[in-house]
Amino acid sequence: MNKTGVIFFPAFDWSLGELHPEREERLLYTQEQIFEEGIMDLPQIKQFSPSVADIGNVLRTQAIFPGPKNHSLDAHLIAVGSSLVLGNALMNQEITNGFAMVRPPGHHAGATVWGNRGFCTLNTEAILINYLRATYGIKRIAVVDTDVHHGDGTQDIFYHDPNVLFISLHQDGRTLYPGTGFVEEKGGPNAWDSVLNIPLLPGTGDEGILYALENWIMPRVEAFKPDMIINSAGQDNHFTDPLASMNVTARGYGKITERIKPDLAVLEGGYSIEGALPYINMAILLALSGEDYSGVIEPQRPKDKALHGDAVISYLNDLRRKQEKVAPSWNYRNDSFLPEGKWVYNEKSIYYDTDGFNEHRKDYIRQCSHCGGTVLIFSQKPSAFQKGVLIRIPFDACPQCEQAGYDLAENLIKSENMIMMQNQLKNKVHMWHNGEEVSPFGFKN
Amino acid sequence: MGSLIGIDVGGTYTDAVRISDGFIDKKGKIPTDQEDILSTIIAALDYLQIADSPEIDYITVSTTLVTNAILQKTLPEVRMILFPGSGMKLTALPWPVSYTTLAGEMDYRGRIVTEPDPAEWQLLAEEIKRLATKPLLAIVSKFSHRNSFFEEKLAAFLESEVPGIRMALGSRYGHTNFYRRSLTTYLNLAAEGLFVRFADDLHQALASRGCLAPVRVLKADGGVLPLDKIRPVESVYSGPAASVLGAMAQSSLEKSYVVVDIGGTTTDIGLVLSGSPLISTHGAQIGPFLTNVRSLAVRSLSVGGDSAVIVNEGEIILADHRLGPAYCIGGSVPTPTDAIRYLNLSDYGDYNKAEQGLMTLLPEDKRDKKNARDLAERIVKIMTEKIALAIEQLLEEWKAEPAYKVWEVFHHHADFKLSIQLSGGGAPGIISTLAKRMNMDTVLVEHSEVSNAIGAAMAKPTFSWTLHLDTQFRIYRIEETGEQGCWSGPKKPQRVVEDFLRDLVQSHASSLGINGDDLEKDIFDYFPLVENYHTVGQIIRGAMHVPPGVTGRVKA
Ligand SMILES: [Zn+2]
Ligand SMILES: [Zn+2]
Repeated sequence: MNKTGVIFFPAFDWSLGELHPEREERLLYTQEQIFEEGIMDLPQIKQFSPSVADIGNVLRTQAIFPGPKNHSLDAHLIAVGSSLVLGNALMNQEITNGFAMVRPPGHHAGATVWGNRGFCTLNTEAILINYLRATYGIKRIAVVDTDVHHGDGTQDIFYHDPNVLFISLHQDGRTLYPGTGFVEEKGGPNAWDSVLNIPLLPGTGDEGILYALENWIMPRVEAFKPDMIINSAGQDNHFTDPLASMNVTARGYGKITERIKPDLAVLEGGYSIEGALPYINMAILLALSGEDYSGVIEPQRPKDKALHGDAVISYLNDLRRKQEKVAPSWNYRNDSFLPEGKWVYNEKSIYYDTDGFNEHRKDYIRQCSHCGGTVLIFSQKPSAFQKGVLIRIPFDACPQCEQAGYDLAENLIKSENMIMMQNQLKNKVHMWHNGEEVSPFGFKN
Repeated sequence: MGSLIGIDVGGTYTDAVRISDGFIDKKGKIPTDQEDILSTIIAALDYLQIADSPEIDYITVSTTLVTNAILQKTLPEVRMILFPGSGMKLTALPWPVSYTTLAGEMDYRGRIVTEPDPAEWQLLAEEIKRLATKPLLAIVSKFSHRNSFFEEKLAAFLESEVPGIRMALGSRYGHTNFYRRSLTTYLNLAAEGLFVRFADDLHQALASRGCLAPVRVLKADGGVLPLDKIRPVESVYSGPAASVLGAMAQSSLEKSYVVVDIGGTTTDIGLVLSGSPLISTHGAQIGPFLTNVRSLAVRSLSVGGDSAVIVNEGEIILADHRLGPAYCIGGSVPTPTDAIRYLNLSDYGDYNKAEQGLMTLLPEDKRDKKNARDLAERIVKIMTEKIALAIEQLLEEWKAEPAYKVWEVFHHHADFKLSIQLSGGGAPGIISTLAKRMNMDTVLVEHSEVSNAIGAAMAKPTFSWTLHLDTQFRIYRIEETGEQGCWSGPKKPQRVVEDFLRDLVQSHASSLGINGDDLEKDIFDYFPLVENYHTVGQIIRGAMHVPPGVTGRVKA
């Protein structure tokens, strides 16, 4: 029998605004449903208490610009802290799997953070993953993101990390926020094929997603041989979701959970507060704990015609052929401040929809055949004339890449006034302001 | 001012105390007859000479009557009728009783999803009509705490078909949790007859002694209610609550401490934080029944002064049962009480007999004073360790209490400086070992041996009303009683709603004979209901309580 750990943190006193979809009532009916069912009384369910994450755990994974104090992070830190509680319980073998039913969500928050994107500021799963790697030495982790939106933040954080397989199923980015997540995005030069994006046609439904899981996703996960599987369990694929138009049912979510068998699931989006969330959360919880979820039936029935099996299957097969054919192509740069090595260069602009501004990024990655490679990111918020630099020395960095990270810091201290370094190899975070090393807020080195 | 009488029926002894103007003027212990709780209570009252105390304000009783009947399965049968709707399979949870399910489904806001099936109801009525003895019926529908419609309708239907049939509705226990609500409804209905007879007999016995003082019953949550207003199932496990209140009546206000009450059969452990006893987030569990009966967060450990000590292959074991009283007072099996007597940590019982008893546990060639002393010390240590582990578990549980708001998480478990308030017969025997093991100040309460009875005597009535208001549907409900009504106020009421609840509470309190003046208010939660970017109403949750506590402090 599974022992399933649950943290239910509905953040009843926090919202992004009264008319905002990410509001305090979001998990109210889930609470009504799961408490009324007596699910917490199941002998195999163990409810844990939420906890606040230390900011150091955040900074190991995300650079918060201009600094953590410039953001209101309280609710986000609890969502993260709660998932860490379950991570610890899993590693201590107190539980066999766990579900962090928390808000706010996190999977749109990327490697650099200037504000809130898609209701997310801190990336719960990514912080959790790096915490487990740093604390318990876990090597390989697979993330299956079943939110209807592309998990662009998680992808951004792990794009150059060969030890994290990131798979996102989502409604096609041409029809839905954030407009990314195409098959061409397959990972950086040192982590090629560690990212798999499956943009789905609107209306795909249970059958199509289960087909993709069985024939494409889970074989890919198994081939990767992960030490742990994390599910970004967004619930906006439901047929009642107001933001998207997939056709998934609560029982479909139960089946998805049963196929993925995540070690940990973390709630992401899902904005059909009445029609979907109480039922999907219940189905996921029952599936995780090994209970029969076939009695979970929403009062409404899907009214849109789900795309027919054959159409979905041939679309998926075409997509897969296309995905497999994508070949890598890199731009190289040789700027004067760059240490020795070949540096792949990429530029992008990221829109913060909640606050309405753009971030401009210039990313450099040291090509390396030994490790994930040092990452250098110049990040700008032009509207505020602010700039920040992130240097990341990856887990398992080779000596050359670690040295390159420190060389970068030394070179850039002269010209850049805000630099953050994540030395994931040594589990340290450094910060420099105006040439002086400062203690990262609240972080004990 | 007159006197307060407190009676706590324990597993081995019943504590009795009479308190006048805050001073204890009579106290004592009567052996408990578990087969006849009523006689035990009467004997305790006679011991206190109630006939000579004309001015008694209250007699408060903490009784094991209902707990025993449930655990010994002597309650009458109840037929359980459920409207489970969809969701988790009923079989996922263990049902210690059988049930019949009917069609009809409600959602989490009390909206009807599927109508019930009249043909099913007719069949049910026919079946009951054919039965020679009419069963007791507990009727519970999922989400009936949001809408009692199915339950009320079925009850009315059955009443018209089978007049006079006794029924209980789950919505009268308006807490969430269908499973616990069902079992609570079941137990309460089953215990009602027993409790009514008990109340009648007790009143009669008192009248025969010329005593007309009102009788109150202690509840699991540490509050009291008049004998004829209490719901029988709420009287379960009031013993541990009495321990906690007893310590409160003998400690300074606002302090935080662990209460450890060592009885003959069990040791009760509770927690008081800044002068308020900790309430359990779940309801009480009684044998195999999980209920939503509000109770203090307490642990009852089946270890006490009279636990049998057994030596098994050289290992000393404290059995979780008792075999009669301690050796030193004429029993046949050595117990921790003997060890404590032998170490001169108490003067209860006969020293020589205590020695004799301990010797029986030693191999024949090792029966000397040195070995007996070592053995006694080891027994005290083992008992201390069991109690210490239970304290640690309770503290652990308290720290793991869930929180649902950002504010709660950031203000969770402020650091309390805890001490231990120790009471009960065996208390003096382990005070020093427990203090050392827990590294906490450990204080013996003054009237240690009758602490529970003091707690019962001085307990305050408790009272809690939780409002759930849906201004979109214009319906309000009270969780504790299941009362429902229409809301005619505004869609976004804010403060008006607090006054509304206060008025409801005041009128209900006076009907129970309780003073509702010192109400504590929880922070109200307001959930905006938004449809198509328009606010269409609010769901509001709020509660007012008179929290458990004591009416004063015992004077030295
Ligand atoms: Zn989403
Ligand atoms: Zn390298």
